[in-house]
Amino acid sequence: MSGKKRERGRILPREKGAAPLDVVIGVMAFLAALALGASMLADRQAEGWRQGLAGRLTVQVLQPEHSTRTRNMETETQAAIDILRGTPGILAITPMSDADAAKLIEPWIGADALVKDLPLPRLIDATIAPGARVDFATLEARLKTVAPDSNVDDHTRWIARLQSLADTIIYAAYAILALIAVATAAAVSFATRAGLEAHHDIVALLHQMGAHSGFIARAFEWHYLISTLAASAAGAGFAAVTFLALGGLEFAGVEAVPFLPPLGLNTQELVWLFAVPVVSGLIAWATARLSVLAALREIY
Amino acid sequence: MIRFENVGMRYGPGPEVLRDVTFQLEPGTFTFLTGPSGAGKSTLLKLMFLAEPPSRGLITLFGTDLATARRSAFPALRRRIGVVFQDFRLLSHLSAFDNVALPLRLAGRKSDDYTRDVEELLNWVGLGDRMNARPPTLSGGEQQRVAIARAVVGQPDLLLADEPTGNVDPEIAQRLIRLFGELNRLGTTVLIATHDRSLIERSRSREMRLVDGRLVELRRG
Repeated sequence: MSGKKRERGRILPREKGAAPLDVVIGVMAFLAALALGASMLADRQAEGWRQGLAGRLTVQVLQPEHSTRTRNMETETQAAIDILRGTPGILAITPMSDADAAKLIEPWIGADALVKDLPLPRLIDATIAPGARVDFATLEARLKTVAPDSNVDDHTRWIARLQSLADTIIYAAYAILALIAVATAAAVSFATRAGLEAHHDIVALLHQMGAHSGFIARAFEWHYLISTLAASAAGAGFAAVTFLALGGLEFAGVEAVPFLPPLGLNTQELVWLFAVPVVSGLIAWATARLSVLAALREIY
Repeated sequence: MIRFENVGMRYGPGPEVLRDVTFQLEPGTFTFLTGPSGAGKSTLLKLMFLAEPPSRGLITLFGTDLATARRSAFPALRRRIGVVFQDFRLLSHLSAFDNVALPLRLAGRKSDDYTRDVEELLNWVGLGDRMNARPPTLSGGEQQRVAIARAVVGQPDLLLADEPTGNVDPEIAQRLIRLFGELNRLGTTVLIATHDRSLIERSRSREMRLVDGRLVELRRG
């Protein structure tokens, strides 16, 4: 027996079963991971919109009110195409036919003969070379000299609105994450104080025997760090499974939530969800430490 | 080592439990503290092991004036004191071995370094076969011996014991007093609060008596 290596007993007794705190932390981590996932989805979606629309412009040539030999849509469209061709930075030009234009409005007003009577504008789709800067105001002014009823749409209005929608979702997610962080800190602070109360005899004895506040705080902070890591990892795990299931449904062709963009996260984004337990653990660790140190300062 | 000057102590608005207590303990001395129940023995010990601040008066411990010392200096002072509490105050979730090893852990020693010392001491107090037992499974006398082993294991500069032989038979009591004597010979200042006249009679050590919160010197060692 003598001199044999011994396992050192834990300073604080091990808690039996899942404490209510673990359940609270697990649920909060689940919600935090959902919010984080939503912010990543919004960011990804906004990036998709930006890439789809940025770098393109559409010139719309309207039919003149009174067509003449010199002022008709065909000649004006051709003149506009020539100006676009001569504009530095424009990579490709795709004039859309009447049939293409009719197809665009088909979902709204159908494909009836009536459509043919509508004064549909001519659309010219142009792609801007990556990194090239096109002065839209000057371009529009030049186009108006050959086609007075034309206008240039560089999609910035749409991109800005979609971006602000995505930003709103992202900031709301951050606000939720901040609220959950505060709630986690409050819950752990409450639990630490309850723990100090429950283990008052141990804390008082250690203090009496000359334990530094840091030694006593370590016993508590480890306890709450480990239990919070475990509980919040479970919560984040459930959130990851939720996103995987939504992704799986979409993969199978089922629209999980109508009107919303795809809700599946990719592997890299799923890994990010596990930042939630890491941050929760750090919050619990710091809160437990500060709570214990504050309580010990009150003892002689 | 320890100096009390006109120390008074009261809990809240109650009457003074200790009044004008003045004494000095020289390093390496062995002293008995006696007095009837309620005379203030435990309170005096609490002031000595820094569990409570005095209501008035001056306490100097290991050359440090407690009134002016920084609180951050207290843990180091407390680690120089071994205490045998009247109610033992053992940690029920730890084994007898871990309870005894606690002061060494607090001093930052590694388990490889102290295992042999702790086991030897537990053998000495007759608990060699109860090292892994937890306090709730030990008898009152066994718990008291674990508490004493814990108080002496770090060879403290000052040992304070509150009725350390109250729960053991006379033979074990004598053995424990010999342990305190051995520690005292190695340089530890010992103060034992006790009712046990036979222990005091057998010794020629100094005796201080508390009566109604006042200290009376009965015998100089």
